[in-house]
Amino acid sequence: MSAYFVQSAVGKRLPRMGDWVSIGAIFTSFLLALRIFIAMWTAYDPNWSVSQSWTWIDLSSPTFGPFKLEVGVHLDNLAAIMLLMVTLCSTLIHLFASGYMRDHDGAPADGYRYASFFSFLSLFTSAMLGLIISDNLFTLFMCWELMGLCSYLLIGFYRDKVSAANASLKAFMTTRVGDLGLFIALLAIYWAVAAVRPEGGSFRFADVYAAIGAGAFNGQLFGLSAAFIIGLMLFCGTVGKSAQFPLQVWLPDAMEGPTPVSALIHAATMVAAGVYLIIRMFPLLEAGHVLVVVAYVGALTSFFAAILAIKQTDIKKVLAYSTLSQLGYMVLAVGVGAYTASFMHLITHAVFKACLFLSSGAVIYAMHHIQDMREMGGLRKKLPITFVAMLVATMAISGVPGLSGFVSKDMLLVSSLAYGYYMHPQHILIPILGFATAAMTAFYMFRLIFMTFFGEPHDHHHYEEAHEVPWYMWTPLVILAGLSFSFVFSGSLSGGLIGKADYILGEANNWFTHLVVPPVIEGVAAHGGEHGLAHWEHVAHGPGMILSVILAMGGILFSFLVFGSKVISADKLERIWPRFVQKAIDNLYYFDWFYIKVLIQKGLMPLGVKMAKFDDFAIDRVLVDGTKDVTMVVQRAAGVTDDVVVDGVLVDGVGGGIPNAIGASLRSLQNGRVQRYVLVAVAAISVIFLLIGVL
Amino acid sequence: MNLINNLEFYLVFSSILFVLGLLAALTRRNAIGIFMGVELMLNAAGLNFVAFQSFRKNIGGGDWLHGHVFSLFIIILAAIEAAVALAIVLRIFAAKRNIDPYAATELRG
Repeated sequence: MSAYFVQSAVGKRLPRMGDWVSIGAIFTSFLLALRIFIAMWTAYDPNWSVSQSWTWIDLSSPTFGPFKLEVGVHLDNLAAIMLLMVTLCSTLIHLFASGYMRDHDGAPADGYRYASFFSFLSLFTSAMLGLIISDNLFTLFMCWELMGLCSYLLIGFYRDKVSAANASLKAFMTTRVGDLGLFIALLAIYWAVAAVRPEGGSFRFADVYAAIGAGAFNGQLFGLSAAFIIGLMLFCGTVGKSAQFPLQVWLPDAMEGPTPVSALIHAATMVAAGVYLIIRMFPLLEAGHVLVVVAYVGALTSFFAAILAIKQTDIKKVLAYSTLSQLGYMVLAVGVGAYTASFMHLITHAVFKACLFLSSGAVIYAMHHIQDMREMGGLRKKLPITFVAMLVATMAISGVPGLSGFVSKDMLLVSSLAYGYYMHPQHILIPILGFATAAMTAFYMFRLIFMTFFGEPHDHHHYEEAHEVPWYMWTPLVILAGLSFSFVFSGSLSGGLIGKADYILGEANNWFTHLVVPPVIEGVAAHGGEHGLAHWEHVAHGPGMILSVILAMGGILFSFLVFGSKVISADKLERIWPRFVQKAIDNLYYFDWFYIKVLIQKGLMPLGVKMAKFDDFAIDRVLVDGTKDVTMVVQRAAGVTDDVVVDGVLVDGVGGGIPNAIGASLRSLQNGRVQRYVLVAVAAISVIFLLIGVL
Repeated sequence: MNLINNLEFYLVFSSILFVLGLLAALTRRNAIGIFMGVELMLNAAGLNFVAFQSFRKNIGGGDWLHGHVFSLFIIILAAIEAAVALAIVLRIFAAKRNIDPYAATELRG
């Protein structure tokens, strides 16, 4: 965060526009995260955690009871792993951006704004890190909102492009809608916790977990349990931030931002924050039986986004839809209860998606900012390193065995199969969508590869000019691609089916699955859910894995047939589907049309205008007429009173007449006539005699 | 018919005379008239003294003649005062050619 302040203040004047400030800061954070990770590794305990909290605001009072806002830091396995991932990806992306944001000669592309770009990146990363290490929902929400702001700033970085400005606003507003639900949930959680905790409400995760165990969320509202409603509201935040259905509309447009932004925000970190939230609040969602909804939302998002991805022509849009799809996977995994699988997919996805975005950035950079794949082709000879990195990452996302994506996606799909086929057959749709999406993912990702790197170049001019990107741009690619191999995460190249590579790390091979487990809450029966899921996962493991491998390979093969060797025609494939389906896909399922034309233009904006008019009306009437009338009446009364009182004082003689009278009467005593004086004296003496006589 | 033999008669009589003299002193527009009233007041007071002296035996007392003596003093004082007062009036008249007390209001205010 200090990098943000330094960079925004003096960045312009530093050498190289100060990008090294940000890069240095984030690298330092990475080293710290590495240290934390090592600490976690050496402890190797599912329940390892380090925490510290402070009281920030204390408004306790006898009348309202205790009210404390305690914020702090909580590092456990989850946070440590995520910290490492975020700092690593962020460092690499910073490095990449130092190249991407410049012209090919090395001059910063946008003049002084190059510096502010890095300041925004630093701010964003600091917000993300703050979110990860926070031990309570309040600072999490603060960082959440801060990231929303940075997303706005970064997406709209190309200020002169109208589409970019619109996209950034759209992103911010759409996530805001989700944040409303989150905020309501936060308030409700605070008070629910307050009901069972003698020290009052709290936002801390530990307290919330304890409160769930103590039954704080068992109340009912309109027949739905409180935990359900709160969990649903909480999930709204994720729906907005992680671009799930129905708030997914902002993510594709967010590709207007520079590619490093897309890599950082929309692959690795911000959209992962939504998943992080539901992972953290997993016990609440479980208690509220919200998880079914979560699973369906995730599955639907995943499936429909994948369909859209097949038809995209812009290289970044393909990746955007694939991000949507993979996020749907993560949400789905949480929904079926596969806590560990979801988190693993979050991490692996961050790595290979960042790799994909950065490689696409390299391609775009090399092609002088052409993003349409139809103008690319045959680039593998020209950009060899980029090609290899991208190929590795694409294999990872498609679920090819031997890569990390396979491990996590396999875990995920197996869990969904266990849930939807064995445990709750009425939810068979979930695994069906999941597996279908896997096939499509392989299909469209390899379509991207074939269109970009193979075949004949369509734009010969740019093709001739393309050359490999400088070292500081392909180094991140290589590192990320290397981390996309599966042995990083589970010590085996095939996920355990064929054989384990025990010689690398011995027992610590399955470190991920061992260390990342959902929190256990006393007082909440394990619903048979966890135990049931674990059991059925074993059963489903075999068939699930075979199925996913077949689908992945099938998808790749099919893609090769259509796009690689052009044996099957893509156009003919397209025409199979009925007309309305094609049009629906082209119009992105009419979501944008609905939101913008119907909801906003016809619904909310007139409402807003009417409300503004009413507001004006109220203000005008109240301020102008009302206050004016009141003021005038008061003023008149004051004037009259003033006149009466003042004049009365003067005229009536309280201050004037009476003294006048008295004076007049007294004056007459002193008319200079001796006889008068004697008379007065005699009168006085006689009065005295009388009094003496009486007394 | 015991009127004359009562002390009260002479007291009341001298009071009436006093009040008449007071009235005269207060209401006359002539300085000498005022002085006449003053004379009357003085003599009424002297009459009071004499009355008290005369009825001393009946009331109870001795052989001394305080009252009579004091009334002599009063007459003498009245005479002296008359001389002084007339001298003042003459001075005022010499200055103002007017002996109306209403015209001598320089001490007003």
